[in-house]
Amino acid sequence: MASTLTPPAQAQVNRLDRVWRERPGLLGWLTTTDHKQIGLLYFFTSLAFFGAGGIEALLMRTQLIGPNQHTLSPEAYDQMFTMHGITMIFLFVIPMTTGAFGNYLVPLMIGARDMAFPRMNAVSYWIFLGSGLFLYVALATGHAPNAGWFDYVPLASKRYDPGLNIDFYGYGLIFNGISSTATAINLIVTMFKLRAPGMSLARMPLFCFAFLAAAFSLVLALPALSLACLFLELDRQLGFHFYDVAFGGDPLLWQNLFWIFGHPEVYVIILPAFGIATSIIPAFTHRRMVMFPLVALAELLVAFLGFGVWVHHMFATGLATVVTIYFAAASMIIVIPSAIQLFAWITTILVGTPEFKTPLLWIVGFIVFFIIGGLSGVTVAAIPFDQQVNASYYIVAHFHFVIFGGAVFPILGGMYYWFPKLTGRMYHERIGQLSFWLSFVGTMVTFFPMHIVGIDGMPRRVYTYPADAGWTLLNELETSGAYLLAFGLLLVIVNLVVSLFDGRRVGRDPWEGATLEWATSSPPPPYNYAVIPSVTSAYPLWDARDRARDLGRLERGEGVLARGHETPASTVQDATLDEVLAMPAHSIWPLTTAVVLAALFAMLLLAHYLIAAGLGGLLAAALCMWHGHAPVPARVAAVRRALPNGVWGMALFLAAETMLFAGVISSYFYLDFRARVWPPPGIPRPEVLDPSLLTAVLVLATLPMVLAVRRARAGDLPATLTALALALVLQAGYLAFQLHQLVAELHTLHPQGSAYASAYFTLLGLHHAHVLLGVLLDIGLLFWLVRQGLSDYRLTAVRAIALYWYVINAIAVAVLLTELYPSL
Amino acid sequence: MRRADRNVGGGRPDGARRSRIRVPAVALGLCALGLGGCGGQQSIVAPRSHQTNLIALLWWWMLGAATVVFLGAVGLLAIAWVRRHSPGLPLLGQREDISAGMVIVFGIAIPLVVLLALFAASDLYVIRFSEAPAAGSTSMTLDVVGHQWWWEVRYPGSAAVTANEAHIPVNTRVNVVATTADVIHSLWVPRLARKIDMIPGRENRILFDTPDPGTYVGQCSEFCGLQHAHMRMTVVAERPAAFRAWLANMAKPTPTPRSAPAREGERLFMSRGCSGCHTLRGTEAQGTIGPDLTHVASRATLAALTIRNTPAELAAWLRDPQAIKPGNRMPDLGLARGEVEKLVAYLESLH
Repeated sequence: MASTLTPPAQAQVNRLDRVWRERPGLLGWLTTTDHKQIGLLYFFTSLAFFGAGGIEALLMRTQLIGPNQHTLSPEAYDQMFTMHGITMIFLFVIPMTTGAFGNYLVPLMIGARDMAFPRMNAVSYWIFLGSGLFLYVALATGHAPNAGWFDYVPLASKRYDPGLNIDFYGYGLIFNGISSTATAINLIVTMFKLRAPGMSLARMPLFCFAFLAAAFSLVLALPALSLACLFLELDRQLGFHFYDVAFGGDPLLWQNLFWIFGHPEVYVIILPAFGIATSIIPAFTHRRMVMFPLVALAELLVAFLGFGVWVHHMFATGLATVVTIYFAAASMIIVIPSAIQLFAWITTILVGTPEFKTPLLWIVGFIVFFIIGGLSGVTVAAIPFDQQVNASYYIVAHFHFVIFGGAVFPILGGMYYWFPKLTGRMYHERIGQLSFWLSFVGTMVTFFPMHIVGIDGMPRRVYTYPADAGWTLLNELETSGAYLLAFGLLLVIVNLVVSLFDGRRVGRDPWEGATLEWATSSPPPPYNYAVIPSVTSAYPLWDARDRARDLGRLERGEGVLARGHETPASTVQDATLDEVLAMPAHSIWPLTTAVVLAALFAMLLLAHYLIAAGLGGLLAAALCMWHGHAPVPARVAAVRRALPNGVWGMALFLAAETMLFAGVISSYFYLDFRARVWPPPGIPRPEVLDPSLLTAVLVLATLPMVLAVRRARAGDLPATLTALALALVLQAGYLAFQLHQLVAELHTLHPQGSAYASAYFTLLGLHHAHVLLGVLLDIGLLFWLVRQGLSDYRLTAVRAIALYWYVINAIAVAVLLTELYPSL
Repeated sequence: MRRADRNVGGGRPDGARRSRIRVPAVALGLCALGLGGCGGQQSIVAPRSHQTNLIALLWWWMLGAATVVFLGAVGLLAIAWVRRHSPGLPLLGQREDISAGMVIVFGIAIPLVVLLALFAASDLYVIRFSEAPAAGSTSMTLDVVGHQWWWEVRYPGSAAVTANEAHIPVNTRVNVVATTADVIHSLWVPRLARKIDMIPGRENRILFDTPDPGTYVGQCSEFCGLQHAHMRMTVVAERPAAFRAWLANMAKPTPTPRSAPAREGERLFMSRGCSGCHTLRGTEAQGTIGPDLTHVASRATLAALTIRNTPAELAAWLRDPQAIKPGNRMPDLGLARGEVEKLVAYLESLH
């Protein structure tokens, strides 16, 4: 591209090169906020975890090659299958899709220069790395989680698993969840707000729709897991009783919470793979996707419906038949949007002129496996059949076809497809095809026989099996398939590594791809696009006129935006230019924050709560310093019809927190429903007057917050400060009184005494923690407002923090009603 | 009627097997040779009850339909490969509305019809036979309690308590009450009934009802810790007369040892710690941590089907239970060789 530029255009490019230059060397990697660098960090890290998970799988398969083998001890086997599941889901597929593919490609595809929150993007990565190391420290020290990735209680309770194993699980997953939530929020706001002007929602690539759906699922589903893990650790470390039948708890509370997360999670895993498929198919069939709008709708629908099917994981728990029938029906309905996508892919391949090169081969393999996994999925929506094969190898076969065939195959196809974009070189086609066929056959031989051993009654998670059960031959076959598969996967890596040094050099667009990422050089420069691209359809690279126009704009310096790290922000639906944002450059604070957070989780694990609290203070200080540098205000007079990114980010965070409270309130009523008497005999009903008055004070503090936003928008700093200070006094006063009450109550009502008291204190404690967080936000905001005055950046902060309080205050009312429910 | 259903269920496999393709065909070919173990002792396609017959039948129908769908979809991909150089659909050409129509027909219309049929057949009809038996519809109750890692079986109305071996009369609707003493287990005897989880605080129920005498293997099917793999059991279905005789014997207190070594073994049982965990009804041994051993010699296996119940294997177990089933609750008692022999003599006399 550079060679064909005219001198004025070249001058623009040179200027951008200067502005966006990254720090070199290790320091550059540690402080980078470039979405592509972070994407690469995600890529290599999650690939390493893929290797670890693969080795765990091979060890298990080696143990199962014959009956009564001794490759692994029973304890080692249990740790292996638990770590295999956790690794593949939380440390490989999610970070690989949302972290690596999403990070690297989404901004490129929508014509943006970075993610909406570049520093939060960096901290997501470092937290992900920290959580991965946290879990692998457990394995290295022989204390890896050992109750399976779904970690059912009471097996995972302190009584039956007294070591640190499960604590690594509980804290590791909460830790990891912070990273995934942050990435998901970042992706959503990026796709909502940073699309190149002209790329209305209807013109957004299907890849992005898939990632949007997955990101929403993550934001809304993860709180259920975090809550389940919080209850678990409260039970384990502090002796609470959420899951303990003897004290009014219920083990099925864990299962419900886990699967409320766990099933949407399946779509979090598979949707990005759908997105990759919808990118590769048009490029290699040389035509647009059939039924674009229906496919986009189906992607969103799958994610939405995924929240209503969780009980199908619990058909054998003895729930009432009518409940199981409802969830079976919901599970069958979800087949429809999947079938729509499936036949849209097949039809597109059929009506196009497909070129069966390596990337498309992986997608065809994916389609074949997804059909098998989808069909076996339909069979387990037949409740009586599920009640036979549930927890057998049939299920292992089913979800490996869906997750390995359905998600990992597109990931591998995507690696080949975007390899030239990332490196400027082409992979080796023949070896690419060979690696595909080996992996395809390997996958079939590994996982297909599992259907049959499952039908033959082999339960999953057994470290060995008897010689006379008739399972030996099929297990041998599976193990040999696993080694073949490992070889195929290794060949993928070898191909890509060798091609990195030795591959044929290619230009911008070796595939004649349809989406924007192919418009920029390979690899893309730090600023992605010298000129913000014009978009008039969903296949912008096939619009030759727009691309020619962009070259002209570059020469004239239109849409170059080179005064700093600038990128345009657009309105959510129509993508009309809204304002030009100055993005933060490299920063050391994300890494610092992640390190402090990792130390905090380590201290929680070891039950050093005071040190953990101290680290919490340090974390707050780090986050305050992080926001010290306000970016240069935007140059172009902003139109500003859309909500600022910061407010969007806060809104999504609050959506997650609302799910958290929905979870804890539902858990409260679930336990109430299970108990005969609530609260249990001997426990007085909660007092009504004091908490109601206190909550009224908190809600009253909404008024000064509203006032603060109004005055800040008017640019009136003193009035803003006064209003904020007034709100802070009310909120802090509320918190102080509430904590006083809570401590007083602890003398008479013990959270270790009953599930009721556990739920009561957790509900209140969680809300108080959110009020405390709000108070800290207030203080940080006041600190920077006093020191630096009002700017666009701080105005957004005022609006975001006000929104925080509106939602927390609304939740306060819900919490109050729940808390007082026995007295009402 | 029951037998007729089973024949239908048993008759389908070969037909359905033939219709599979590719790699599955290899696996199923092996299976057909009997090497893979289809129709094995824990196979859901070797049903021995009305309930499991219906589920197996449901499975073969689903497999047939799934095969058709799979072949159809892969067939479309094959056509795409054959016609990779020519755009458009065969015969129908390139019209966008026809492509869209294909997505709607294959992606919405056909799945909707198939799913409705499946829903009606499985979740409205077959489920009536796999759900908990209606109160009063059964003529006998069996209490099965899961332990890490063995099964306790009680026969309400009788003093009998057995471990890892349940007996039922044939042609009798047996109400199986499944509970747990510790973590979650799942009771699964695939040829007799669907599985049911055993969850703390809950009493779950399923139906055992088979016309066929025989021994049916069951296995724990929810991960329950270190020895989940060795938590197996048998259900012995026998003619009602034989069952009654068996139950009457099981209800009796512990037999008195006759031989000298056995009497010595009884003394050791009471003094060397065995009685702390095991019950021998009618003696001072009243432990409840391990299985009731009142009639242990009558059982075919030990340690939840981990080993056979022979003097040699029992002796090996007593010498070092942790070597055979690592992690199980029975400690190494440090018994001398002579002590083991006497204990074996005693335990193997408890018929």
